[in-house]
Amino acid sequence: MKRSLIGLVALAVVALIAVAVSTLDLGNLRRSVVPTEAQVVTLYYGGEKSALLDDPAITDILRDRYNITLDAIRAGSVEMAKTLDVTGKDCLWPSSTVAVDLARARGLRPLSVDTIFTSPIVFYAWNEVADAMVSAGLVRRADDGFLYADVQAVAAKIQEGAKWREDIGINLYGSFGIFSTDPVKSNSGLIWAGLLATAMNEGSLPVVADLSVLLPQLQNTFASMGYMESSSGDIFENFLKQGMGARPIIVGYENQMVEFINANAASAPMIRDRITMIYPEPTVFASHPLISLTPACTKLAEALQDPELQGLAWSDHGFRTGLAGVVNDHESMMNATLPETINQVVPMPTAATVEAMVAGLQ
Amino acid sequence: MKMKSGGLSGWLIGAGFLLVLALFAGFNLGGGNVDQTASGRTLTILSGSENRPLVPLIQAWGQENGVDVRMTFQGSVDISRALNDGTAIPFDAVWPAHSLWIGLGDTQKVTRHAASIMRTPVVLGIRSETAQRLGWVGRTDVTVQDIAAAAAAGDFRLAMTSASQSNSGASAYLGFLYAFAGNPDVLTLDNLKDPAVQENVRDILGRVDRSSGSSDWLKESFLANPEAYDAMFNYEALVIEANRALVPAGQNPLYVVYPANGLMVADSPLAFIDKGDPEKEKDFLDLQKFLLSSDTQSQLSDLGRRTGLIGLDQTGGDPAVWNPDWGVIPALTVASVPTPTPEVVAEALRLYQTELRKPSLTIWLIDTSGSMEGAPMNEAKEALRMILDPAEAATSLLQPSENDITVIIPFSSAPGTPMMAEGNDPAVLSRLLDQVMALQADGGTDMYSALGVALKQMQGFASKGTLVDYLPAVVVLTDGASDTGYRDRVFSAMAASGLGFPVHAIAFGESDLEQLDALAAATVGKVFGVDKGLSTALRDVRGYN
Repeated sequence: MKRSLIGLVALAVVALIAVAVSTLDLGNLRRSVVPTEAQVVTLYYGGEKSALLDDPAITDILRDRYNITLDAIRAGSVEMAKTLDVTGKDCLWPSSTVAVDLARARGLRPLSVDTIFTSPIVFYAWNEVADAMVSAGLVRRADDGFLYADVQAVAAKIQEGAKWREDIGINLYGSFGIFSTDPVKSNSGLIWAGLLATAMNEGSLPVVADLSVLLPQLQNTFASMGYMESSSGDIFENFLKQGMGARPIIVGYENQMVEFINANAASAPMIRDRITMIYPEPTVFASHPLISLTPACTKLAEALQDPELQGLAWSDHGFRTGLAGVVNDHESMMNATLPETINQVVPMPTAATVEAMVAGLQ
Repeated sequence: MKMKSGGLSGWLIGAGFLLVLALFAGFNLGGGNVDQTASGRTLTILSGSENRPLVPLIQAWGQENGVDVRMTFQGSVDISRALNDGTAIPFDAVWPAHSLWIGLGDTQKVTRHAASIMRTPVVLGIRSETAQRLGWVGRTDVTVQDIAAAAAAGDFRLAMTSASQSNSGASAYLGFLYAFAGNPDVLTLDNLKDPAVQENVRDILGRVDRSSGSSDWLKESFLANPEAYDAMFNYEALVIEANRALVPAGQNPLYVVYPANGLMVADSPLAFIDKGDPEKEKDFLDLQKFLLSSDTQSQLSDLGRRTGLIGLDQTGGDPAVWNPDWGVIPALTVASVPTPTPEVVAEALRLYQTELRKPSLTIWLIDTSGSMEGAPMNEAKEALRMILDPAEAATSLLQPSENDITVIIPFSSAPGTPMMAEGNDPAVLSRLLDQVMALQADGGTDMYSALGVALKQMQGFASKGTLVDYLPAVVVLTDGASDTGYRDRVFSAMAASGLGFPVHAIAFGESDLEQLDALAAATVGKVFGVDKGLSTALRDVRGYN
């Protein structure tokens, strides 16, 4: 009895202090820093940006400088553009430009579309695999120290039905190939399918008419992978955890390694000892276009161009800027090392071609 | 100015927190018996049996964080079936042994945050002396074909779990299919149709002397009865656990053989079932984070699980666990079987259940004593109906295959006449079912004399030389204390016969569990309750024979 009475008194004291703090002093001071009520911007975003949008350094800049807080829900790039109910949403922030076309095709009329970040498609390979691919002439080590894969040659090897053991000289079962996510469900797999289709089309961007020749080869390639993950985060994790025997080499985004190493800084040297990033030549940039459906989102688009925010997105999350005139210097990176510029880039085929390709791979 | 005032208000809020904390601490001390369940926060996990050794670790986390974590154990295949129900599944999380079961079962896309907690390959654990004799010590090129040939030559008696119930059995089975299909890029439906593949796989499955529904039970029964068989397909982690019990008991350890062309690696994904409860989701993510923390990961490595950020390499792990003398290769680099698509896995399991698995010879002993009158008798009849009625059996996956043999022996004070059905002809099965439905409850209980009749039946098959073609088992359906006049005589006759078939029991009503437990223990059988439902109990029994 007595103890709970003390408890009540103590609770009252706490309440009083809380009231005092909020009414007297803190309220005034808050207002002097942040002049108006923060604006909540609602959006769907592609999963690749989860860590970035959870990063307090990023959300602080948005709130303190631009008075914006986010109500963000993770969704697939294709589903947000094609099927999800967007009523009440200010923005869509998918992980591919194809989604922009899909949103337009659905009848959405964006106020603006701004490419905020980009990240090239890369390969992640176990070191032994990378070395074997160098010996097989599929990968070269450039003067800048980075590895570059000849996508045309890789595609040719896949088409020949080359085997890891017999033709690449590494002790693994099955046909040579690059493992990816399911192109029907996930953006990185879809981009790989586009890149492979371009290479199999002798380097020229395929159109719908080319698919009758290309699709059977693409179907074979993806069927030989068996179970395919439906998100780039999952395949990256499975690649790392299940070892070389399960997945010798995978398709991923450049920024995945940056985020992984920053989240596991203590293990960075071990990771560098075991895993190599290989840049396909040519590659495709996965861009992150912010589709503004309301003026609130247009404001967010401006805020996201804050130079400090763009700097953090690069140094801590590995996203290259989507803005003209900004250079990503590699000295600012914490643990990873990436090339400053990526020169050999091809676009994805048109939305109509991509849709036909997805339908064929379904 | 901003900084300073922020500091001040921060301090005031901090002081408030301290007060509140002090307050709660006071209540706690006063209240005395406030435990972790007082918060009312629970997290229920449907998990594979191989995670049983992790319970203390998880319970400790729950105690510390005020979450009552309850784990229910089922085979991965059953977890996959449970996932078919979407958010109606009565659990907050699933933890099967392999992500393929989520891929196969989660058709409504209700799982979130799936993350692999640890890895363990499915290996052949074989008596050291047998490995030595076969010249398999120190080799990494022993193929599934080598294992099949040695089993066919009678070099060892083999045990594995049922592929249609447990991931370790399914993994070994998929490894067989992959190896006999000639190591394709990935197993396809065409490979499954190949008669040569089917024949080879049927043959190696025919060498299995003991089956079970659970990997953990298989390991435990090996420990309880080390003379019963010589080799088992099981998780590397459970073979290591077995060795850590065998060696201190003065027994020879099992030697780990990694099949060079049919190795599947369980990846143990823990996934949340999203039912829109953010508090549960947070508790789940906290638990997952705890399991993936480097401290816990190294504790899991000490339990024989492959953990860490990258790869399967456990070089530098505790040498008492990752012991090369047991054939364990810490830096495992054997290539694993590519995971087939869910469609191929589903077809492979159907093929297993209906065509390729070793046929079973099951003798059902039905207690028809007076005490069974009413509900227990009706339940026992219902049980047999689930197996013998073709439409019922197809939905519960309990149907006999075309080579199975079903024998039913009713008993009360004395055993009744055995009734038999060979194969799965619906007409034959329904005739048998009619006979079962006509049974009346009356008289006393003598389970042991009925067991004597079952033994005679088994001996009949043995003398014809056909018993080896079947997985034999006796299942007793009973509710109560049996007379024991014949017990010792039957036990010694069973031991003298050298047939070594398991006797399982399904316990109805107020069964005398002591008698049933003793019977099961003596024959490496198992007692199943009907508390989880009759069909679950029957499916469980099916996995064990």
